[in-house]
Amino acid sequence: MKSRDELYWRRLDNSAKIFPISTGKKYSTVFRLSAVLKETVEPNLLKEAVKQALEKYKSFRVKMKAGLFWYYLEDNMKEPKIEEETDYPCKYIDRRRNNDYLFKVTYFKNKINIDIFHSLTDGSSGAIFFKEIIYSYLELKYPKELDEDARRIRKIEYNTEDSYIKNYDKKAKSNASSKKAYILRGKKINLGAISCIHEIINLEDLKRECKKNEATITQYLTAVLIYSIYQENYIKYKGKKPVKVCVPVNLKKYFPSDTMSNFFSYITLEAELKKDKLDTFDKILEFVKNDFQKRLTETEIMKTMSANVKIGNNPFIRPIPLFIKKAVVRLSYIEIRKYTTTTFSNIGRIGIIGKYKDYIDYFLMLIAPEPVEKIKCSSCTFEDKLVFSFTSIIQNNRIEKNFYEFLKKKGIKIEIESNGVLDDISGKD
Amino acid sequence: MIYPEKIKAKKTDKIISILICFSIVIALILLKINHVTTPRIPWAALANAGILYIWITVIYSIRHNVNIAGHVLLQAIVLSALTIYIDYKIGYRGWSFNIAIPIIIMIANITMLILTIVSHKKYIKYAIYQLIIVLFSMLPVFFMKEHMVKNTIFSVIATSISIVNFIFCLVLCTKDIKEAVIRKFHM
Repeated sequence: MKSRDELYWRRLDNSAKIFPISTGKKYSTVFRLSAVLKETVEPNLLKEAVKQALEKYKSFRVKMKAGLFWYYLEDNMKEPKIEEETDYPCKYIDRRRNNDYLFKVTYFKNKINIDIFHSLTDGSSGAIFFKEIIYSYLELKYPKELDEDARRIRKIEYNTEDSYIKNYDKKAKSNASSKKAYILRGKKINLGAISCIHEIINLEDLKRECKKNEATITQYLTAVLIYSIYQENYIKYKGKKPVKVCVPVNLKKYFPSDTMSNFFSYITLEAELKKDKLDTFDKILEFVKNDFQKRLTETEIMKTMSANVKIGNNPFIRPIPLFIKKAVVRLSYIEIRKYTTTTFSNIGRIGIIGKYKDYIDYFLMLIAPEPVEKIKCSSCTFEDKLVFSFTSIIQNNRIEKNFYEFLKKKGIKIEIESNGVLDDISGKD
Repeated sequence: MIYPEKIKAKKTDKIISILICFSIVIALILLKINHVTTPRIPWAALANAGILYIWITVIYSIRHNVNIAGHVLLQAIVLSALTIYIDYKIGYRGWSFNIAIPIIIMIANITMLILTIVSHKKYIKYAIYQLIIVLFSMLPVFFMKEHMVKNTIFSVIATSISIVNFIFCLVLCTKDIKEAVIRKFHM
C-alpha cells in the first residue's frame, strides 16, 4: 500500500470544478452508458474486467478529496464495487458506499451499466473507458475467440491534461444569452423515481429522412424534440419564453487533445416558438438548421469555452474557500439552470472492433434529469441502431410518445424499451 | 426487459390516495367513538393529531426522497427520552410510560408501515431501521413486566401494532430484510 505522500493527485479540469460544488441528490450530474449484450452477464468476470480496465486507464482509479479552495482527485487504492442494478439510473453516486469511486458499474440480465460522475470525465472519454470494460469482459468470457493483441496496436496514449487551459482564448468575448428559457411543466414523479424511455431507431430509415430534409441526424432529432415539446407541453401551458436546447459538443473534434478528462462545451439553440411563429415541424427544422450553422463554429465554441474557463480562473473566485463557493453555487444553482429547457447529448457512433461486435446488441446513453430540466435526452449509435433515450421526472410521457409517433409516421422503424415507471408508449414495432 | 421491475408512478399515487381516504375514515370513526363513549376526554383529537403527523412525515419523505426511516427512528428515541425527562422534572406521574411512549411507538410503526406499502421495491433502504424500530417497540413489554405502567391499554396496542407491522413487512419484503442484515452484519 502506498503512503499518503506517494499518492498521485491531480486538479479537476475546468468543467469538472463546478460539478462537485453543485451536486447533490437532486443534481446528480451523473451520466450512464449501457451495453446490452446478447447473453446474460457474469458478475465475476465483469469485476475482473473492470479491474483490468482500471489498470489501463488509471485516471479512473481515483477518489475525490476536498482542498481548501477546490476539490481534487487522488489515487484510490480500494477495489471497485460491482453490483446488480436495483436503483434508477444516473442517481447520485454516494462515494462512501462505492469504495470512494466516482463511477459505478452495475449489471442486470444482459446489460452492463456504468454510471459516471461528470467531474471524472465526459461522455466521449467515458465511452472509451466503458468500451475497454466491455472488451476485457468479452475477452475473459471468450479467451479463444477474442484476442487482446488484435486491438492493442490501435491503442492511443491518453493523458489527463486540462485541455481547456491549453486551448482557450483569453481575449474571446462571451456569447451567453441573457434570456431565461421555457421550463417544462407537469406533475413530478414521487419517491425520486426516474422514467427511462429508449426509442430504438433504425439508422438507415433515419438517415433517409435526414437526407430528404438536408439535415444532420442531430439537427433532425433536435427539431423533432422541440416540435414534441411544442405540441405536448408548450401549447398546453401557454409558453412564452423560448425553448432552449443545450447540445453538448465534443471539443476533441475542434482542438487537438488526448485527454481523458472533460473536454466538452455546448451550444444552446434558442427557439422563439411564439414570437417567431415556429408552429410547424418544417419551420422548426429550418430554424434548427440555421441556428446550428450559426452556433456550431469554432469561433462561437471558443467564446463559450473561454467564458467558462475565465470563470474558473478568475483571480477573485479562486481564493474563495470551498465551503463558501459551495454555499453560493447551491443557492444560485436553480436560477442558473433556468437558462435551459432541456439537454440533448448525441455521443454519436460507438465503434467496436472486429468480432467483438457479434456479442453486443446495442448501446444506451442516459443523462440525469434535474428539478429544472425535468427531461433530458441523449443518443448513441451502434451498427444499424440509434437509441434515443429520454430520462424524465415528469409523470406523463406525452413528449416521448409524440416523438415516437412522429418518427413512426415518417416511416421510420422504431422500437421502445423502458424501465416501466410510466405507461407504455407502444408495443414492439 | 433491460431494467429491474419498478413500481409504476401512477400506482404509488393510487395507493397513497387510498391510504389517505382510509385514514380520514379512521379519524372520523375515532371522533364518533370518542363522542359516544368518553366525551369529556378528547383522546380522539390526540389520535388524529398522530395521524396528521404520520402523513406529514410520509408525504415529506415521498416528495423529497429522503431515507425517512432513519429520521423516524431517531425522532422516536429522542422524543421518548424527552418525555421521560419532562415527566420526571415536573414530578413523576408516569404519563411518559403510560401514554406518551406507546403513542410515539404507534406513530413510528404506522409511518414505517405506510412507507413500506408505497415503496416496497425500495424497502432495503428502510429494512435495518425497521428492525431497530420493532426492537425499540418492545419497550412497553418491558415496562409492563417491570410494573412501570399502571394503565396497560396503550402499551398493549403499541406492541400489537408493532408486531403486525413486523409480520406485514416480513411477508412483503423477507428477501430485502435478509439482504440488509447480511450487508450490515457481515464479518
